[in-house]
Amino acid sequence: MLYAICDCDNCFVSCERVFRPDLEGRPVVVLSNNDGCVVARSREAKALGIKMGTPYYRMRAIHGEDAVTAFSSNYELYSDMTRRVMSLIRKSAPTFFRYSVDEAFCMLPPQDDATVKHWGESLVRLIRKATGMPVSIGIAPTKTLAKAAVNFAKKYPGYKGCCVITDDVKRAKALSLTSIGDIWGIGRKLRASLEKRAIATAADFAGKSEEWVTSRYNITVQRTWRELNGHDCIPDEEMAAKKSILTSRSFESMVSDLHTLRTHVANFAARCAEKLRRQGSVTSIVGVFIVTNRFRDDLPQYGKSMDLTLATPTDSAVEIIGTAVRILEMIYRPEYQYKRAGVMMMGLHGHEGIQPDLFEYSPERAEKMHRLDVTLDSLNRIYGRDTIMSVAQYYHPDGAHMSGKSFADIMRHNNRTPNPTTRWTDIIQLK
Amino acid sequence: MEYIKIVEGDFNDILTLPYANAIRAGFPSPGEGCANESIDFNRDLIRHPEATFYGRVYGDSMIDAGICDGDIAVIDRLAEASDGDIVVAYINDEFTIKYLDTTHVPDGYILLRPANRAFEPIRINNDDDFKVWGVVIWTIKKWKK
Repeated sequence: MLYAICDCDNCFVSCERVFRPDLEGRPVVVLSNNDGCVVARSREAKALGIKMGTPYYRMRAIHGEDAVTAFSSNYELYSDMTRRVMSLIRKSAPTFFRYSVDEAFCMLPPQDDATVKHWGESLVRLIRKATGMPVSIGIAPTKTLAKAAVNFAKKYPGYKGCCVITDDVKRAKALSLTSIGDIWGIGRKLRASLEKRAIATAADFAGKSEEWVTSRYNITVQRTWRELNGHDCIPDEEMAAKKSILTSRSFESMVSDLHTLRTHVANFAARCAEKLRRQGSVTSIVGVFIVTNRFRDDLPQYGKSMDLTLATPTDSAVEIIGTAVRILEMIYRPEYQYKRAGVMMMGLHGHEGIQPDLFEYSPERAEKMHRLDVTLDSLNRIYGRDTIMSVAQYYHPDGAHMSGKSFADIMRHNNRTPNPTTRWTDIIQLK
Repeated sequence: MEYIKIVEGDFNDILTLPYANAIRAGFPSPGEGCANESIDFNRDLIRHPEATFYGRVYGDSMIDAGICDGDIAVIDRLAEASDGDIVVAYINDEFTIKYLDTTHVPDGYILLRPANRAFEPIRINNDDDFKVWGVVIWTIKKWKK
């Protein structure tokens, strides 16, 4: 078995560049909500020394007003562009799971290096031509090694976007060139601990004896050590389980009206948010699916799923319900009778994964969200489902037919690009 | 006397390209018998959903090709651009829609030709960093006022 990780290069910046080809090769950054600080950087911006989390005002002060092009986050665009990329990956690999907004793992049958390298390079070329998005692919017998491989593919153009680490010689060379902190699963604390023990590179670590590792570190670190030595031991299910939450139900009787369906979906979303809060995670992708009863072949069949990337990773029921309802309204069609619906959260990570300076919540917004969550929870308890709905509708992200202001409206985003792939009003202008 | 055959279309679907079905019927051509439940533009006219983008035409530079101000162009980035195709390119900080003329490649340049005598062709030298952004595969024109 071989694992291939496909990862969009500087994802958000690349999405913006598809519609601004003139910015190819120039420093570009994407800012957090409220235009607070830098959350994505082009290679050229990295070379200027701009760090993740640099406040926007400081970046302007250091580099001048015009040296770097800064975009407000446009998650609607990023969501659609990454969906195109994921769809192409899915079509070209036998097994696929999306690991985050901009990464997917594929499982490939064992095959020789040349064949697999050709597959990877072709996929990189296809995605680039079809979508304009640069991706890199790392291929290896374990997920941890594939992650190391993709870093090489990104760093050195000679790989043509695809680096394969299969034999022991390549593996030893790659690990000796990879610093310990760049290994997947080695966080900041662990890195410090390993460095204290004179381990600087992945090769230093992989070269330790099993006894050395097991007597000092927990099972997670032991698994990383085994994976670096070529033994596949991080189960897919575990990654998928940690990385996603699903709430879905079959309805007792079939449902065709939007209002009832919306109530169900809002409740599934609320349950997902609860689970999320319980395990201390936040989600960055919300997905919804609805299907008709496939056993009733006398009725017309329909099934659709769709996901949206959230503006900021969140565990807020309000935001999650609002997003789920919005998706439902997009995929719902009145002429069918639905038997089952579900809500998924994907791209989960722990709170510690989001550095507060990266995704700058304004204090008022955080406070408002918290108050709403508390209110929502209590209303839900006291008055039941329909109460959730009224709150969810009030915070419908479009805000268009609502009297209240949506979060999107109250946030600052001065340099936001249009949405040429998702709104007819915003399609590109041809002269 | 010619007849126009009316076929029931499916216009209810919200246009979510990434979810369009894979092309089952292939590229449609007039007179080709299709055994579909209905006619679905997403399925039948869009060959590469992930690579398909839309643009709105501004101005009259392509008017003699029947492409007018306000028309919508369906752009396929995976379609190979060949001589005589209508393409979209990004030049001088804007997207432009023009005929691709590669007959002068041996002389060291290509032309982006307008379809309007009032406009000059755009000349691009072979050594310029130039890429066709996408190929126009359909245009959509609104007739009913």
